Amino acid sequence: MSNDTLTHSVTFTEAPAALTVVVDPTPQIARGSAVIVERRRPKAAGWSLLQGLGVVVDHWRKSFRKLDDPTQIAGTFTTEYPEERLPLPEAYRNMPILLFDDATGHELCTSCFQCQRICPPQVIHMTQAKDPETGKPVPAVSEFIIEYDACMSCGFCAEVCPFDAIKMDHDFELSTANHPSLTVHKAGLLRPVSYYQSIAPTFWAEAEASAYKKLEANKKRRPASIGIAPQMIEQVKAAHELRDDQQEADSPPAPVAIAPALDAGRAATPATASAAPAASDGDLPTDKAARLAAIRARNEAKKAAEQAAPAQAQPAAEGAATALTTPDAPLTDALPAASERTAPPAPATPDAPLDEKAARLAAIRARNAAKKAAQAEEE
Amino acid sequence: MYDVVDFLLNTQLGLNSPDWVVMLISHLVVVGMLFAVAPLQVLFLTYYERRAIARMQDRVGPNRVGYEGLLQPVADGVKMFTKEDIVPDSADKIVHLLAPIVAAAPVLYMFAVLPWGPNMIAVDLPTGLLFFFAISSISTVGLLMAGWASNNKFALLGAMRAVAQVVSYEIPALLSLLFAVMFAGSMSLMAIVEAQGGLFISTTDVPSVPDLGLGWFVFTPVGFLAFVCFFIAALAEGERTPFDIPEADSEIVAGYMTEYSGMKFAMFYLAQYILNFLLCAITATIFFGGWQGPGVAWLVSQSLSADNPAGNPVYNVLAGMLGTFYLLAKTYMFFFVMVALRGAFPRLRIDQLMNFGWKFLIPLTMINILSAALWIAITRWGTAQGFGIIEFAGEPGNLVRWVIAFAVTLVINVAAYWFLARLNVQDHAARQAALTAGGLAVSPPRSA
Amino acid sequence: MITTDELQINIGPQHPSTHGVFRMLLTVDGETVVHLEPVFGYLHRNHEQLAEVNTYLQNMPYTDRLDYFNSMANNHAYALAVEKLAGIEVPERAEYIRVLMVELTRILNHAGALGFMINDMGAWQTPLAFGIREREKILDLFELVSGARMMCNYFRFGGVVRDIPDEFIPRMKKLMIAMPAYMDELERLLRENEILLARSEGIGILPREVAVSYGVTGPVLRGSGIAYDIRKAEPYSIYDRFDFDVPVGSVGDVYDRFLVRIEEMRQSRRILEQIIEQLPDASGGHINPKARQNVRPPVGDAYARVESPKGELGFYLVSDGGTKPYRYKVRAPSFINLTPLGDMCRGYKVADIVVILGSIDIVMGEVDR
Repeated sequence: MSNDTLTHSVTFTEAPAALTVVVDPTPQIARGSAVIVERRRPKAAGWSLLQGLGVVVDHWRKSFRKLDDPTQIAGTFTTEYPEERLPLPEAYRNMPILLFDDATGHELCTSCFQCQRICPPQVIHMTQAKDPETGKPVPAVSEFIIEYDACMSCGFCAEVCPFDAIKMDHDFELSTANHPSLTVHKAGLLRPVSYYQSIAPTFWAEAEASAYKKLEANKKRRPASIGIAPQMIEQVKAAHELRDDQQEADSPPAPVAIAPALDAGRAATPATASAAPAASDGDLPTDKAARLAAIRARNEAKKAAEQAAPAQAQPAAEGAATALTTPDAPLTDALPAASERTAPPAPATPDAPLDEKAARLAAIRARNAAKKAAQAEEE
Repeated sequence: MYDVVDFLLNTQLGLNSPDWVVMLISHLVVVGMLFAVAPLQVLFLTYYERRAIARMQDRVGPNRVGYEGLLQPVADGVKMFTKEDIVPDSADKIVHLLAPIVAAAPVLYMFAVLPWGPNMIAVDLPTGLLFFFAISSISTVGLLMAGWASNNKFALLGAMRAVAQVVSYEIPALLSLLFAVMFAGSMSLMAIVEAQGGLFISTTDVPSVPDLGLGWFVFTPVGFLAFVCFFIAALAEGERTPFDIPEADSEIVAGYMTEYSGMKFAMFYLAQYILNFLLCAITATIFFGGWQGPGVAWLVSQSLSADNPAGNPVYNVLAGMLGTFYLLAKTYMFFFVMVALRGAFPRLRIDQLMNFGWKFLIPLTMINILSAALWIAITRWGTAQGFGIIEFAGEPGNLVRWVIAFAVTLVINVAAYWFLARLNVQDHAARQAALTAGGLAVSPPRSA
Repeated sequence: MITTDELQINIGPQHPSTHGVFRMLLTVDGETVVHLEPVFGYLHRNHEQLAEVNTYLQNMPYTDRLDYFNSMANNHAYALAVEKLAGIEVPERAEYIRVLMVELTRILNHAGALGFMINDMGAWQTPLAFGIREREKILDLFELVSGARMMCNYFRFGGVVRDIPDEFIPRMKKLMIAMPAYMDELERLLRENEILLARSEGIGILPREVAVSYGVTGPVLRGSGIAYDIRKAEPYSIYDRFDFDVPVGSVGDVYDRFLVRIEEMRQSRRILEQIIEQLPDASGGHINPKARQNVRPPVGDAYARVESPKGELGFYLVSDGGTKPYRYKVRAPSFINLTPLGDMCRGYKVADIVVILGSIDIVMGEVDR
């Protein structure tokens, strides 16, 4: 069990004198020492082999149970993938997706080109939407392409996006025999905000407020149906017609339609209850801030509804859409009392323990909106 | 089998067939069974190995095709069949084609002398053991042909390694088996198995105890040492880790199989697994009593035979089944050890393998033959053989004689193992000292 | 009279144990190696030129792909280089998180490297499977913080991309219990194993002076008996706050490198323990809020180096004041450690070559760049 052929000394290439370094093998080391590793010899011939065999057989014996405790080192470690799946952490990033607002169908993207600029492999391409009448650029994207096949999943696009419009998806089962299908266009990239919220709730909770604030600002600059997700256009149109019909028939306010949303979204109910009738009555606030607050409160209600009862998510979204006025809708007379209407819900939140976070956010927004409205009145 | 066929044809059906017809039919049945069983064994072995080694590595192993993956080998076989057969342009086409056949065919012959159960053997050759190892050497020619015909350097290296390894490890393998021939007084594998009945070394040792079929040779110091040596040599013959040097995938890709694909590759694979199975089976047969085990002897005594015409043929079948079960159980246990070795150890280098074989195993097996001779002398000889000194211990076969033999051979074998191991370790240590002295403190550069 | 001739063998570029596309041109006499010529470049991806057309931040994910086993360590070295160039401060907590990740990386790298080396020796993947099992647990943690298992892209100039989540430290503590068990088991399986000793003792000896003259670093250099560790020699980040030892070998063979790696894993675990103790609370922030990611460093150059698991990993950057590096150079430890391969292998058998190569622990992504 040895290597007698190696007794000849191994010769090395001659090192030039200049390269010959005087080396101190054991220098003084701060906070530690240089330890020479111990070269052990087996105690008895063959014993170490049996010991090694014992380790392996021990693993075999223990492998009939699953290794689910990370402090252990024996047991079957395999996750049988299609049937079993490991939970994905929120931070997991695979491919970028675009978000649109569930309620209005508005895309969050404003085509600011930040992601296109940062993308290291340069797989993001977009064109800015233009107002068909004036030809001026609109803060919306008309076409957005990501080449998934060349994307390196670095997540920079999601990091730099100031509008929280592009996020990293958790879906990793993208393999296909159809290579061109990996060049994904806007319609394929768009996901509702509620989807992102379901995969990364805390991340979205952090981003939500500023994302919606910026979206509202941009929505006003988007004429007609520009900036609405293609898959939502029909729904939004239907919502329009329904609202128009209701106005023509002079029917009572829309709460009928929002009812499921209200029922489900107990948390945000006070906020919605006060704001929604105002919106659906048709006597929408001209005061921008108040109107924003109303819309946000409604979104909040819808989201709360989704969280409370996912099965009702679709009706809720529809209900909210029905109740909503799109930006190009004519604004009727002012609602001076907006601030009073939106302000009261804030104290009502404590008795909504189910969805504290959403409720608190709604309260904060309502308070801010009230303040702004008050300022506007003063002016 | 002869008895059962004779009973069915002549006694039950009253055909009065001549003896040669009974013989022919019984042989055909046995051969047919064997050739149906052999490939199935290989299929199962591949599955068994993959599952066992996966478990050792905290994995699951193939479990998708069929129940718990039992059909995985079938799927692999289908894949192998449908693969393109690639022959290198510069290969010697005829030899390239013949090599897998030459490698695989002799291995199948080895089944002929393997005793599966009482009276269950295809051919009970008087020289069965010799036949077994003689025929197994022929497949080495196939390996060399494969390596040479492929016209590939890796294949050639692999073939050379294979030949060197198999040829040098056949010596310790056969030397370690010689003791069994001495104990049983026959080279017939059936005789060797039958000699392992009873409790210790023959059924006459303790007359009051029934024949439990536990007189396995491995329970003697001679048999145990021979078992260890033979098993190590068998690993080398079967090209199993830590001696899978001829096909060391991390060094020479796949050795002599590098240029083979499809069914030809599968043939080598088949040959190798059959060989491994047979080596495990022969280990079980020679050291662990083969089909011997509690109950077999009783079933045999109840069964129909020339000596016992009143027996019931059902017992013939039952005895055969139990014997086969014992043999297979032992075989699979040894295969499990082979798998565990594969899971645990790295592989040796070819020169280390040679050193180990020639400097350790062969001397050890030689000393073991001496022990075996002493054992026989102490337990069986008396004044007639010029060994009257043992007469005080009573008649041959006496327990006292057995104890003396056990003690003497144990001392000799342990001393031999210790001495040889120490020699080798010292040898190794001296070489290490020489090597490591020239390690870090290598002579300063000549220009300095 | 029989004449013998030397045989030329190509090991690679496609070969089971060249760890990627690497080619060794062997001249053998029988099975003894007479000459070995390593041939690199099959995986050249134009990494350095590519970096010069990218902005500083855009290069961060590309550094993941250098040594794809240790993306965290690569990120660290690059972030240090840019921070040095642009003069960016890093908050306390971010430093701790960085060192935490890098030391986890060292453990996972050595677990894999030892497994692959023993695999090259012919063990049928059991030590590797054990190493991969522990590596998986660490990768789960990486996924938790960075969102990716291998291409973490976790470091940013002035900190890390996001703070570690609440469940990270409890999970980490569980892992800290499993680590020593794994290392003990690996030692029980292999440390005194006679086959491993036969295959590794006295094989691939790299003498001290030769190692230094080639510029070898990392476990290979320490295996050759020189206690040179950049974490000690030039403590970067916060390494001067931790107690840990530097294991060195006494012979400089494959076995010493094996032992040094096992011991380094233990030392890394020691550092991790100290990090868990000292980790500041989240109030300090995980990233310097003043640090611009779209960095425009002043004209100048900077070289930052870290002790990556494979050796000294350095990034040399020259700035012309723009948003892109004017020159970007990687000092890749795998590449430098591979250069003495020819000398290390001469006189050994073909079977030893792959073991020596495995003991150097190369990743071709880093060698060829």
